Amino acid sequence: MNRDYLMFDIRRTLRNRRVLIFSILMPLVLFMIFGLTLPDDANEGGISAIAYVMVSMAMFGSMSAAMSSGGVIAAERDGGWNRTLRLTPLKPQAYVTTKVILSLLLAIPPLLVVFLFGLIVGHVHLDAGQWVTVALVSWLGALPFAAIGLVIGYVAKPDSVQPITGLATMLIAAFGGLWLPVDSMPSLMKHIAQLTPAYWTGLSSRSALTDSGLDMQALLVVLGWTVVLGFIGLRRYQADTARA
Amino acid sequence: MTTTTAVSLTGVTKKYGPVQAVAGVDLSIRAGEVVALLGPNGAGKSTTIEMLLGLVRPDQGSVQVYGGTPTDAIAKGQVGVMLQSGGIIEDAKVGELLNLVAGLHTNPMPVREALESAGIADLTDRKMKGLSGGQKQRVRFAMAILPQPDLIVLDEPTTGMDVESRRDFWASMHAETARGRTVLFATHYLEEADSYADRVVLMRNGKVVADGTSAQIKASVSGRTIRATVPGADLAAFASLPGVRNVETRGDVVLLQCADSDDTLRYLLNNTPAHDIEVTSADLEDAVLAISADSAYQERESLA
Repeated sequence: MNRDYLMFDIRRTLRNRRVLIFSILMPLVLFMIFGLTLPDDANEGGISAIAYVMVSMAMFGSMSAAMSSGGVIAAERDGGWNRTLRLTPLKPQAYVTTKVILSLLLAIPPLLVVFLFGLIVGHVHLDAGQWVTVALVSWLGALPFAAIGLVIGYVAKPDSVQPITGLATMLIAAFGGLWLPVDSMPSLMKHIAQLTPAYWTGLSSRSALTDSGLDMQALLVVLGWTVVLGFIGLRRYQADTARA
Repeated sequence: MTTTTAVSLTGVTKKYGPVQAVAGVDLSIRAGEVVALLGPNGAGKSTTIEMLLGLVRPDQGSVQVYGGTPTDAIAKGQVGVMLQSGGIIEDAKVGELLNLVAGLHTNPMPVREALESAGIADLTDRKMKGLSGGQKQRVRFAMAILPQPDLIVLDEPTTGMDVESRRDFWASMHAETARGRTVLFATHYLEEADSYADRVVLMRNGKVVADGTSAQIKASVSGRTIRATVPGADLAAFASLPGVRNVETRGDVVLLQCADSDDTLRYLLNNTPAHDIEVTSADLEDAVLAISADSAYQERESLA
């Protein structure tokens, strides 16, 4: 990781607040639609339904925030920025790590806001340990999407990166079971869901709410996705020397 | 040997589809030299520079920078590069961008110093996208000198600058070469190559067609040009003079390209009403035109 590069990107992100605000509003609105309309005693697999929806929406928010970095990367590449980076001693691994950490930071505001909303407005009851665990695991769940954002940034052109990111976010969230529980769908849908990283991030986050403890298998799949996608992003960075 | 050779290209070629962008270039640059890579658009200058920097892999041949690969030299911070266009982030401020570049290198000069050398200390808080083309070039220049590199590579650095900023730019550049840095710059401005380079490498159609000091290249095209007003001139008679290679007229004005200008001058003064006579030696432009015409002729011959 390069600290100066991270600070540079953070400063630019804070100046461009529209993306940040949007990444908070989307999951919040969806939470209100899906979560606050539930009957009080509803539950899903032993977890209160409102907590279930809260975690899913927090995951959705952190996921779309993490993936939004793709748009910035595509625009930078279009301006020939990658050539400049390639002509400095910055190591490719440091570049990828810096971008992934930036995405992880972007994922924090939607997580926090959705959890606070769930606590205050949704009256979700968890003990302190559960809050901390669910927040941390949900945050780690942004990792594979940070890597997806990186890869999209290297595959898409700047004029197509927004629709591609939008579509990818919706498909992954919908088919991965973040909007509606996969368990209530036909079994084919469950098989499809397991092919998306969102299914596993949702599973690992929700497992923090159960008594049976964290789902380590789900966490491992999440990390596996991160490593594979991060490696693809690294290779794309190394191959990209396009002129502006 | 390797300690004094900054750049060494050997038999380097690069083809893009059917286009032979670089057709076998050998070039060795000693530490401390200021070299101009001169040639028209499409001569292969940019591709040569891209191979030298490791951005493009040559089809054949080898590239060494300070005895290692370009990537190694860059990793050690030995190379500062000013690209022709792009390579910046438009929504960043000048100071932010320079601070970032400093943070990516191991031994940068203070950012303030780079900004001052490039004459843009007053632009620190301005966003890149609000700058003029010439101001952006200065930012790129500041980015190139910031790492205190041994070798500075500039690809058409003054493109988009007006005459005055071009002069200012070369004045700042001069301060860098005075520190003993090795400089390679691509240009299609003859005057820049003539004034600022110790050595001019002339490229055409992907090949080096001349390589030497500006004076040597000028001298390779011998002879002088006589310009005189000659009312009622007998052009055939001029053309048949032994010292004259070529005759042109513009109204009453006659331009005589001479291998031996003294004899021609004597003839003009003794036998014609010639007046307002000027004798000039070939400048770099004449030399470049002559060499280019010559190499084009040779290419046609070799094809035939």
